[in-house]
Amino acid sequence: MTTTTYNEAAVCVPRAGTLYDVLELILDRGMVIDIFVRVSLVGIEILKIDARIVVASVDTYLRFAEVCNRLDLNQDASSRTVPDLFAGMAGGVARGGAKKAAKSVGGKVKDAIGMGDEDDDVEREDYDAPDEEEPEEAPRARRGSGSRSRTASASRAGSRAARRTQEA
Amino acid sequence: MSTGSRLYVYGIVHADRTLPPSTRGVGRPPARVGLLPVGALAALVSDVPPDLRARRRDLMAHQELLTALGTEGPVLPMRFGMVAEDAAAVERAVRAAAPTHLAALGRLESRTEMNLKAMPVQSAVEALVRDDAGVRRLAADVRRRPSYEGNVRLGQAVAEGLARRATEAADEALRTLVRLAEEVVRGPEVPGCVLNASFLVPQARGERFRAAVEQFAAAHQERVELRLTGPLPCYSFVPREPEEFEESRSSPKPPGSPASPASEEGEAPGSPDGPAVRPSAVGS
Repeated sequence: MTTTTYNEAAVCVPRAGTLYDVLELILDRGMVIDIFVRVSLVGIEILKIDARIVVASVDTYLRFAEVCNRLDLNQDASSRTVPDLFAGMAGGVARGGAKKAAKSVGGKVKDAIGMGDEDDDVEREDYDAPDEEEPEEAPRARRGSGSRSRTASASRAGSRAARRTQEA
Repeated sequence: MSTGSRLYVYGIVHADRTLPPSTRGVGRPPARVGLLPVGALAALVSDVPPDLRARRRDLMAHQELLTALGTEGPVLPMRFGMVAEDAAAVERAVRAAAPTHLAALGRLESRTEMNLKAMPVQSAVEALVRDDAGVRRLAADVRRRPSYEGNVRLGQAVAEGLARRATEAADEALRTLVRLAEEVVRGPEVPGCVLNASFLVPQARGERFRAAVEQFAAAHQERVELRLTGPLPCYSFVPREPEEFEESRSSPKPPGSPASPASEEGEAPGSPDGPAVRPSAVGS
């Protein structure tokens, strides 16, 4: 069973029409005509930068170190314990293996700008909020708004922790 | 759709295209989309909803409209959020670059964009430790003398090791896949991704391309996670304004800054050893 999880986690799962995977193409590619004006994208820029900080954070490093420390270094290479280790961890990056780990950063962005897979109406109030903020205020404001995080998961909690670590 | 007011522009198509009357775009309720003919071309336009921003539903509306139209004929997709002052401004802009647009439509006919993102496999720590003597040594050190600093160093080495393996595998994937594509360009840098590349693929070859990606992903699942999205509107293969070559989101160049000598137009299918890619615009 763990083998299945492991494989599913790592194998490419092609998807069409998921917005997050093509967000940067819709926003940064495509044709531009200089006499046209562009709607404001302030909130989205901030969220992209915010997400990047989390990827290479001390918090992430410590979680990787924990995985290493729990590995039996002498164990056979084909061991299947890695998914178990990940599944048992408290942090968000590792939970559920690579698939979810890879999504954890994206998930946060999706939650924040209301691009989850849930119905539009459900999330509308959520995503209108962040980009009302001044650029400098947006991440801070979102961090304090636990009540908005109905889709909150361990990964978001982990992200918040990571940001705290960064700021410390 | 009133023509005296501001218009949201979705893309440019041949003038002989027809739209289903139910075609809708951005806004709530979704605005009716129409064709604004300009010679041999036509712009896909709608009214601009008040307070338009990059909301999920509007991004989706933009994307879905262009995706749907792209299955029936070539479309030059605009970047999200382009608004023209009025119909006359659209006509001026389209007419001024008509030869370029027509050539681009010809080049994109029966072709589609496939976007590939490559990420480190975050659960592949064990494989990394097995294969990387440096990380193994750090792990052994930390085990002997546990410390916060040691853990940070070890974790950073793991993160970097995973990213390095993913980058190497992604470069291999790029060399393999470029043979199935007519063009390839690097997309904007995406946090957490070691590769973001778009391929221009003949529509008829789309499934073969997908199969090749799946095959590569399965063969290298300990090194890299691949995410393929497509068919997409050909966002990455439209004509570019010269000043965009050196574009950086965080420090926009002033208008008229020297353009890069490299031209995406000239980026024909790359050789297997040197895919024709341009450096991605690095944000912030």
